Amino acid sequence: MEALLTAEGSDYSQGMADAGTDIAANEKAWIREAQRSDARAFEALYRLHVDKVYGLCLRMTGNVSEAEDCTQEAFIQAWNKLDKFRGDSAFATWLHRIAVNAVLGRIRKSKRERDRIQAVADVQPARVSTGDGGELRDLAEAVDRLPERARHVFVLNAVYGYSHDEAAGMLGIAAGTSKAQLHRARRLLMQQLEQEGFTA
Amino acid sequence: MTEEFDDKLDRAARQLATEISPERDLWPEIATAISTPKRSRWTPMLAQAAAVVLLVGASSFVTYVAVKNDGPTVTIQPELVFERASFGGNHNLGPGFQDARNGLRAELDAELADLSPEARADIRANLDLIHTAIVDINAVLEEEPGNIHLQQLLLQAYREELTLLRRVGGLTRNVTMRNDI
Repeated sequence: MEALLTAEGSDYSQGMADAGTDIAANEKAWIREAQRSDARAFEALYRLHVDKVYGLCLRMTGNVSEAEDCTQEAFIQAWNKLDKFRGDSAFATWLHRIAVNAVLGRIRKSKRERDRIQAVADVQPARVSTGDGGELRDLAEAVDRLPERARHVFVLNAVYGYSHDEAAGMLGIAAGTSKAQLHRARRLLMQQLEQEGFTA
Repeated sequence: MTEEFDDKLDRAARQLATEISPERDLWPEIATAISTPKRSRWTPMLAQAAAVVLLVGASSFVTYVAVKNDGPTVTIQPELVFERASFGGNHNLGPGFQDARNGLRAELDAELADLSPEARADIRANLDLIHTAIVDINAVLEEEPGNIHLQQLLLQAYREELTLLRRVGGLTRNVTMRNDI
């Protein structure tokens, strides 16, 4: 964060590049320190990545409370597993995997997900603030209404850009299943969104 | 139509925000949780249970020596054969094993009647310790049913109990127990 602030005084592009480099360097240092049980370094990692993790959890659960719980669970698990992070993938990707596991674990543990879908079908849901506007908000709400598996695949593949292999690996399903669920998600979204004027 | 829709859908999906700020600061609860990690949460209980089992082991050996030197001639009862133990859902022993265990305990009462008050008190204290360890370990296993260390501790506690019962009862046969959990 500090690096971003100091970069603003110079050429913008170069400054952003420098800031990115600094953030990456800081992140590596924080990871090393957090691996030595430095909670302050881990808090810095949390501040750097919480929006990414919470965003994923919120997109996958469609529920603020569950997204908060999953985000917290993901960071707690990350702390406990930090010594296993070897830097083979980006730290954000590693966190994403943990967050997906946290969401799936939460769903497995409880029936709240089913209740939530039922509640969405029956009553007007509380507005989830995702920062999306206009047609995007319609899309975000339609995604929230997707069945669980189709939603998870759509979020990972279409929103976050993970390949079918990557999404399937995170979700513990076959790549073919991921493709089938994406197809299902698209058809369901088409049905929903065409009624709201979201047409090609 | 479908392809056009899919293209537009994909473009729109990639514009959805991927980074969203939570409405409240989630860090304080995380900080609390990581300051008391799960592993260390159980460490005192594990250490306590392990200490009890070790204490019982050492103590029962002392009891055995005392009983062997001072007590009456023990009776070997070859008809008491232990069945293979099994851990049920609540980590109790299987019914067959429990029956054999109860039988030994019943025999123990008769054996204890012939012992000196000191030896009797020592044995009963040891059995109480073991029983406490079993109850404590079972309580922790309720929280962590898959914990191999706890299962091993529980098995060890049962072994200590059986060893003590066997020594007091004079059983010389090997006890077959489940040890592959």
